[in-house]
Amino acid sequence: MLSIRDLKISFGKTQILSGIDLDLEKGECLALVGESGAGKTTLGLSIMGLARGSATGEISFQKKNLLALPEDELRQLRGREMAMVFQNVEDALDPVQRIADQIAEAITVHRCISAKNAGDMALRHLLSVGLNGEKARLYPHQLSGGEKQRVLIAMALVNDPDLLILDEPTASLDALTKADIIRLFRSAILGRICIVITHDISLAAALADKMAVLYAGRIVEMGRAESLIRDPHHPYTRGLIRSYPDMTTTKDLQGIPGRLVHGLSGCPFHGRCTQRIDICSRQIPKQRELDGRIIACHRGGIVPLLEISGLSHTFQANYVLRDVFLTLYEGETLALVGESGSGKSTLSKTIMGLHEPDRGQFILEGCSVIKRDAAFYSRVQMIFQNPKESVSHRMNVLDAVQEPLLVQRESSYEARLGRAKEVLDLVELPVDDDFLKRYPHQLSGGEVQRVAIARALALGPKLLIADEPTSALDPSVQAKILKLLMNLQEKMGLAMLFVTHDIALARKVSDRMAVMHKGRIVEEGATNEVLIHPRHPYTRRLVDCALGRYGMENAEIEMMVEPEPVVLEKYC
Amino acid sequence: MHIDPLGEISHDPLAKIGMLMLATVTLMAIFAPLLSSYSPHDYTGEIFSPPSMDHLLGTDSMGQDIWVRLLYGARTSLLVAGAVALLSTLLSVLVGATAALAGGLYERFCMRIVDAMISLPTIIVMILVAAYLRPSLPLLILLISAFSWPGGARIVRSQVLSLKERMHINAARTFGAGWRHIVSTHIIPDLSPIISALMMQDARRAVFMEAGLAFLGVSDPMVISWGKMMHQALAFTYLDVWQWWLVPTGLALSATLIGISFLSCSLETAMNPRLKKDHARDNARYG
Repeated sequence: MLSIRDLKISFGKTQILSGIDLDLEKGECLALVGESGAGKTTLGLSIMGLARGSATGEISFQKKNLLALPEDELRQLRGREMAMVFQNVEDALDPVQRIADQIAEAITVHRCISAKNAGDMALRHLLSVGLNGEKARLYPHQLSGGEKQRVLIAMALVNDPDLLILDEPTASLDALTKADIIRLFRSAILGRICIVITHDISLAAALADKMAVLYAGRIVEMGRAESLIRDPHHPYTRGLIRSYPDMTTTKDLQGIPGRLVHGLSGCPFHGRCTQRIDICSRQIPKQRELDGRIIACHRGGIVPLLEISGLSHTFQANYVLRDVFLTLYEGETLALVGESGSGKSTLSKTIMGLHEPDRGQFILEGCSVIKRDAAFYSRVQMIFQNPKESVSHRMNVLDAVQEPLLVQRESSYEARLGRAKEVLDLVELPVDDDFLKRYPHQLSGGEVQRVAIARALALGPKLLIADEPTSALDPSVQAKILKLLMNLQEKMGLAMLFVTHDIALARKVSDRMAVMHKGRIVEEGATNEVLIHPRHPYTRRLVDCALGRYGMENAEIEMMVEPEPVVLEKYC
Repeated sequence: MHIDPLGEISHDPLAKIGMLMLATVTLMAIFAPLLSSYSPHDYTGEIFSPPSMDHLLGTDSMGQDIWVRLLYGARTSLLVAGAVALLSTLLSVLVGATAALAGGLYERFCMRIVDAMISLPTIIVMILVAAYLRPSLPLLILLISAFSWPGGARIVRSQVLSLKERMHINAARTFGAGWRHIVSTHIIPDLSPIISALMMQDARRAVFMEAGLAFLGVSDPMVISWGKMMHQALAFTYLDVWQWWLVPTGLALSATLIGISFLSCSLETAMNPRLKKDHARDNARYG
């Protein structure tokens, strides 16, 4: 087995790996993912004993500490007990030797074997990776990229190593070749310890059962590959997964703001993290085990921002909201969909305190909301449907944007003006005096909605409730406003409750989706899963209608919905 | 939709005529002592003298200069108009707005009072009250105000009811704004066109009521009033004197009333897009 303890590698003054702990049993395959520069390749190379920097810590493999081993013994191990498939297929092969000879060489180095036998073995191995005898006589430059990759795999496997390290094995391959190579890998990694270094999350999911997310030389999250991708707990993991498209991704791609910097004090990710608190910049978070996941985060992963439990609201003896349970996490978009009259807007207004609920509890950032005071409103803000109505026609841009600051008793005019300009800049509006003095009727619908968004941002909220924010706008303006909202989310880690009846729209902007029907939440889950496999008949109907299939009648759905118990996914 | 009624009426010819009429009457009232050489209570000695250089409109049955009394009568009219407009609108806004904002029992109570007030026959009550109390200008102002605020309160209440459901007021509430902020920055400014229309309506009614009551004899004998002048002049219609006693007074009263009416009409047109001429034309074309 392979066990790494507190491995630190530094090149000069820069620490590339800062304390890696890892245990791998035989038969396990670990995917190492992370941005370039995170230290993935360095980790692979240092296990092979090929990293040039100064290393401390311990890498024990087959009961030997590889870091303490002399170079001779290491060389014995390399190629025979542990092998690596390198990232760059072009450079890894000798251009003046036939490939069969190169593989035979790899055999003869480690075994006492005749040249003829070695040649036969090489041919057999090449055949097993799908290259016939004719190809074996070729030079590397005569092979395609996929074929070269196969040669490298054959070379790595030829001595039947216990530890196999694959460094970006499919980075430059097209999808079909990649599929072949992945099939090959699947059989190759059986019974071995395998480490797949990649930034390709779909590859990691296809090959590995365990996944570790590396950031600035530390493992920030590690767990079962499948659950880690479906439900990332660390904000960095979520950012990484959001930036990587797969075929079921529905939300627009989002990046992670900022760039990777080595050698920060405290949590390595704190500079880019949107839920950082004081301690994050001072102390390195310890790796903790939470729900079968190892995570290094002071806040225990992505925090729930707003939890709604048991919310009911009646209006003239009719239930508008019935036992609503909903949790919003930091930095995510939750789309609330449903037909008009299903209680979506009532829910959002109840959160904002515009309606008083009959029953129910709100928990904002771990504290129960008893009274909606200034502190609450500076964390939670709302954008309304029709910007021309939600911004008073008697207020110019500056008046409108600084109104929340005035309400929250920000007395200095300079401070208000500064903040107003800041948020107007955030929503990509001009900040010159001429614009600040304009009235809503002198602006376009999109501009007024931007002003309304700027106004909502003025207090620096963490949760933005957007009630049909684009339904009054034409499609091209709508697209721009949605992009803006997504960018703001990326930049500020805004959580968003996106209320809409437009499923196609919700699909593009949301991470999770909650479907509302007659005041209840009938289904909740990751947006792509809800849309691909809707479980509740009402959701199915909504999706069908959005797809342009108008088969079912309303009455039919009523009959289907009523007798069935309402499925509620509760978050504890 | 954004409308700036006060800005819009400045371009309306109707409003301009109205302003001109009101301005004339106002100037007459302000510069009354400069425009004549007599005091309104002076007895010049001659009665029923026809217009001359000394007496522009001649003298009346008591030998008092009619022109001077006309000038000072404008003061009374405008004073009553202004005071009633202020007082009654203040009451309307106070009662209407608080009823709409507070709701509940208080609102029901206020609105029933308003209903009761509106159903009272104004003139008769006023004559009765003035008969029991000694009629004086302040009492008259109070009485007229007491009868003109309820209508305004209804209008203000309905406006505030619709205003407080407006999105921008909801938005202000989501910043954590209290009612004080909402009333002062959202509701009052949005009410201002309604308030100015109410004031004009109240002023017009006050001028008419004051003149009417004085005509019927309900007024302080020491106060010079157009209504009283017309009442006195009517007793001498068999003489030529009515030409320069009754007609100019009637014209002055009409000018004041018509001036205010024109202004409020123009304001209403500006506030109600359906009454706009160009809109009507658009509707005819596309509707």
